[in-house]
Amino acid sequence: MENYIVEMLNITKEFPGIIANDNITLKLKKGEIHALLGENGAGKSTLMSVLFGLYQAEKGEIRKNGKKVTINNPNDANALGIGMVHQHFKLVEVFTVLENIILGVEPVKNGFLEMEQSKDKIMELSEQYGLKISPDSLIEDISVGMQQRVEILKMLYRDNEILIFDEPTAVLTPQEIKELLQIMKDLAAEGKSILFITHKLNEIMEVADRCTVLRKGKYIGTVDVEKTTKEELSRMMVGRDVSFSVEKEENKPGDVILSIKNMTVASKTHKNNAVKDVSFDVRAGEIVCLAGIDGNGQSEFVYGLTGLEKLVSGEITLRGKDISKASIRERSASGMSHIPEDRHKHGLVLDYKLEENLILQRYWQPKFQKNQFIKFDEMRNYAEELIERFDIRSSQGPTTMTRSMSGGNQQKAIIAREIDKEHELLVAVQPTRGLDVGAIEYIHSQLIASRDAGKAVLLVSLELDEVMNVSDRILVIYEGEIVGELDPKETTTQELGLYMAGAKRNTEKETGHAGE
Amino acid sequence: MDVVYYLIQNMLPVGVPLLLVALGGMFSERSGVINIALEGIMLFGAFFGALFVLNVQGTSMGPQTILLIGMVVAGVSGLIYSLLLSFASINMKANQVIVGTALNMLIPAIILLFSKMFFNSDGITTNMRFYIREIPVLSRIPVIGQMFFQRTYLTVIIGFIILAIAVVLLYKTRFGLRLRACGEHPHAADSVGINVYKMRYAGVSLSGILAGIGGFFYAVGVTDGNVSGHTGVAGFGFLALAVMIFGQWKPIRIMFAAMFFAFLRTLAYSVSLIPFLFDLGINQTYYRILPYLATMVVLALTSKNSRAPKAEGIPYDKSQR
Amino acid sequence: MQGNNNNDKPKYNFKRITSHPGFKSLGAAFMAVFLGLVVGFIIMLIASPGNAVAGFRFVLLGGMRRLGDVLYFATPILMTGLAVGFAFKMGLFNIGASGQYTMGMFFALYVAFMWDLPGSTHWIVAILAGFLGGMIWGFIPGIFKALLNVNEVITSIMFNYIGMYLVDMWIQNNGVMYNSSMTRTRYIDSGVQIPALGIAGSNVNFGIVFGILIAIILYIVLEKTTFGYELKATGHNKHAAEYAGMQGKRNIILTMVIAGGMAGLGGAFAILAPSAIAGSSMTYEPINIIATNGFTGIAVALLGSAHPIGTILSATFISYIQRGGTLTSLVGFKPEIIDIVVAVIIYFSAFAMIMNTAIARFIKARLGKDENEPLLELGEEPVEEVESQMEQDTEKEAE
Repeated sequence: MENYIVEMLNITKEFPGIIANDNITLKLKKGEIHALLGENGAGKSTLMSVLFGLYQAEKGEIRKNGKKVTINNPNDANALGIGMVHQHFKLVEVFTVLENIILGVEPVKNGFLEMEQSKDKIMELSEQYGLKISPDSLIEDISVGMQQRVEILKMLYRDNEILIFDEPTAVLTPQEIKELLQIMKDLAAEGKSILFITHKLNEIMEVADRCTVLRKGKYIGTVDVEKTTKEELSRMMVGRDVSFSVEKEENKPGDVILSIKNMTVASKTHKNNAVKDVSFDVRAGEIVCLAGIDGNGQSEFVYGLTGLEKLVSGEITLRGKDISKASIRERSASGMSHIPEDRHKHGLVLDYKLEENLILQRYWQPKFQKNQFIKFDEMRNYAEELIERFDIRSSQGPTTMTRSMSGGNQQKAIIAREIDKEHELLVAVQPTRGLDVGAIEYIHSQLIASRDAGKAVLLVSLELDEVMNVSDRILVIYEGEIVGELDPKETTTQELGLYMAGAKRNTEKETGHAGE
Repeated sequence: MDVVYYLIQNMLPVGVPLLLVALGGMFSERSGVINIALEGIMLFGAFFGALFVLNVQGTSMGPQTILLIGMVVAGVSGLIYSLLLSFASINMKANQVIVGTALNMLIPAIILLFSKMFFNSDGITTNMRFYIREIPVLSRIPVIGQMFFQRTYLTVIIGFIILAIAVVLLYKTRFGLRLRACGEHPHAADSVGINVYKMRYAGVSLSGILAGIGGFFYAVGVTDGNVSGHTGVAGFGFLALAVMIFGQWKPIRIMFAAMFFAFLRTLAYSVSLIPFLFDLGINQTYYRILPYLATMVVLALTSKNSRAPKAEGIPYDKSQR
Repeated sequence: MQGNNNNDKPKYNFKRITSHPGFKSLGAAFMAVFLGLVVGFIIMLIASPGNAVAGFRFVLLGGMRRLGDVLYFATPILMTGLAVGFAFKMGLFNIGASGQYTMGMFFALYVAFMWDLPGSTHWIVAILAGFLGGMIWGFIPGIFKALLNVNEVITSIMFNYIGMYLVDMWIQNNGVMYNSSMTRTRYIDSGVQIPALGIAGSNVNFGIVFGILIAIILYIVLEKTTFGYELKATGHNKHAAEYAGMQGKRNIILTMVIAGGMAGLGGAFAILAPSAIAGSSMTYEPINIIATNGFTGIAVALLGSAHPIGTILSATFISYIQRGGTLTSLVGFKPEIIDIVVAVIIYFSAFAMIMNTAIARFIKARLGKDENEPLLELGEEPVEEVESQMEQDTEKEAE
């Protein structure tokens, strides 16, 4: 009989319209690192949120050390020794590291805060586990890696024994990932039990003892990591054999479509610029990928390119025309299409109907309006055409409220709109974020089709697989600068990782203008 | 120099209500709830405070005692009225600006209705005199004594005491830390076991108490113990919001901002006493407009870099991650 | 993958009706009105138990005898309701309708008194002047918001006071306009008054006709033009609007100018309206009180879901209960009772969101689930609730 420190038995959790966890059983041994694997939307985060008390399951039971327990809120979880590092950090930006760690368990005397003792304990823990932090810095001023260490210290400070990590490596550089995995091994060696949510197979193979796989809300199985392979895990995760490569032909780049010279964009949060003196070209018929860890200036670069932000300096030329100071609409009309990073914030008006969103970039053109009156028939016909061609699924067709559509179909709508409109340059930012494998395959094929049709495609991504498989040329951005240009056929993921982490870089002369 | 003393003496009783209400707004917004209803709550507190005074003014209780008890009455009334805002914004997740506007409109109507029906007038008039000529001992201190302890009201002293309490509460206590967390990142607070709903109720309730007291102090120090359903508190509740923004949600800065506005307003009403201004012969209306205009100027200058509590105005919903 | 394109669902099945936004708004409006009236009744009971029932009957039925007056008094609040509602569609709170109304009223009065024009055109020019006055006063919060990022709520409120003080001062200093012994403005010539519609027993005039026409025009602008498309898009999601190349700043200013103009027209229609007694007209007392019609407009807009046509109905309704309210004085109450009812209606309108879902869920539970209900595709993350424009605004900007 195994001794399990935590057991989640037959857990079922529902939200309106979806069963996020369907009769799932998970058992955690003391001192083990147990990975929870599944695609986006498989139900991993939900399950852990149930364990942590953020949600309550409709059915099922949780046991600690064999005894049944109820966890109604994070306080209960905490009292049982369960702690969680969230995917989106739950840190108050304007508070210090110290304040964030003690929040909720503040040491007080007659209601007044007494921080000195805690500070000592925290610095001790920091030493013991090699988690470097500076207690009096504000969260908004420290690096992402340190922020994560603060989250870990939050758990250790509360003497948590069971530690849950929710997609912890999504925001780290390869070097920081290595450090984190080592920290996890050290914690397990000290007797902590770790649950580790991820969809990254490499990491599982490296640190996990066992792995439980979820798919579409259901429990698929639990395996010993020693005895399994990446292929088997991925088959369990997706339900079929997945090819890790993308089908595409050799490309034949043509004229320069987009030319960026010395582009500099300011940062909203720091005094330094977010994009520093970046220069490169994109040609017709090629997919150039701007690769980098989140937060290295890609977002600002795209804003500067598309017009959402002003440039501090630099020149942008599209098909020979200078658009550095042009308005967003002028850029769009000059041949730039933009699939934005955040489909809900920028890409769609969720409270509009699907057909209204499909003409979002074109409603002002003579095709869709006359004397400022919208031509509703044209809009309807156009929507039906795009729905057909791009297989956009929705409950009521063109009149569907966009808010009610699934993420994949919302993204398809955006892609349909941006690809169908006349363009020379397609800017696609994280186009497959949060989508399932089927949608990802579809979107990749659309990007390649666009490239084959002679368009210039600028892809911004941080998914290593996507970067390696889809692009023809990779430009790595680190801290606002282009630090390397790589050929995906020649380079390896490791090398790419090093560039992305800033550990390696080409000299100025080698970047950006290959093929001239 | 006499003019300076005069201005300060008159400015303080005007500034204190602004200060208290702005502090109330601060507590509410720091917890994450926008309180547009400050104007209405002020009036509500003022009304009940004045009602109390009206009922006891014939008795043998001294004016300052009446003031203190009246203050409690006003604070409690403000708290009760603010529950309407709390319930709507926190439990029902209603739109905070609309609810606040409704509460602002409701009170003058109620006051007018009852005053017309029962007092046959537009409000309450009391004949209590709260004015203090001199505070013994303290008023003898050179300079400061004349500025702060002569020809004043008890409200001023109480106001500053409350300010001190507010500073300590917000920055030095566990309550204050948690409150601020709820206004910046409620999910973070929730994830460490803080009950965001309770904290927000606390924030709004504090604003109710402070606005109620502020309203009563307005009645005492500015309208001589009277409350009118028609003129209400002359927009002080909204001015307090501007003071709060100008003070960037920080208590000490709010105090300076409140005094700044109070000074302008006092100046407006004291034109006849200041020879050089009087000689300018500007219509009094322009002086009346001055605080509102000054508010706009201040907001125009500060709005670009303003840093409000990050989560304010967004109803807290646990199910969103 | 689930979900399908289907155009073969029966058009009028009950489910579709109840989830249609119009139905939800109507349901919410009814709830708010019902609760407002209930609270009003309770207050009447507290104030004067013996007369409460009689008083309440006046509220409910009093307007029936005076339908002409209902329309007469509905005109100004229809305009302020449009002023608030139009701005609302773009995600802006036009709490400044009072100031815009007062300014419009002043401009209209000025032209009425100070300009000499032939009778047939005088009132038209006065109305246009009112429009201009309101537009100017709407422009101010618009520009503060667009260029300086100052929240329009506070700007509007400040300028309500500034407008009120200025107008009162200008009137009091103008001997032609002002009758100091009566502390009111003088009567305007019949030549400047808006022609009456000739309905017996009331002074209902062309104002209401213009109001309705304007509401219809606004409806057309909102639903059929590119400007309306941009406006609503910005109101729903200003980030996407920016992404799509819409000129946010220009649209904010334009919207506030139009909204202000609406309120200004309201003031003009009110002050230029003919009055019961021959030789007299509506007058204004400059006693430093903020125009209540501006705030009533908020209730009108909310009840009408900011929809121009709905606004016509809600303005009529509120005017109706206001007429009833004035009659309650016959049994000892004061007209303020209706102000209370209106305020409570606004309070409960703010709950619209919750009430929508509560009513919808209730109906769904009764009728059973519909399999064509849009579902999330398994394999994806649940759609995140994007905050409504209002919440985004109040979150991000300084007030």
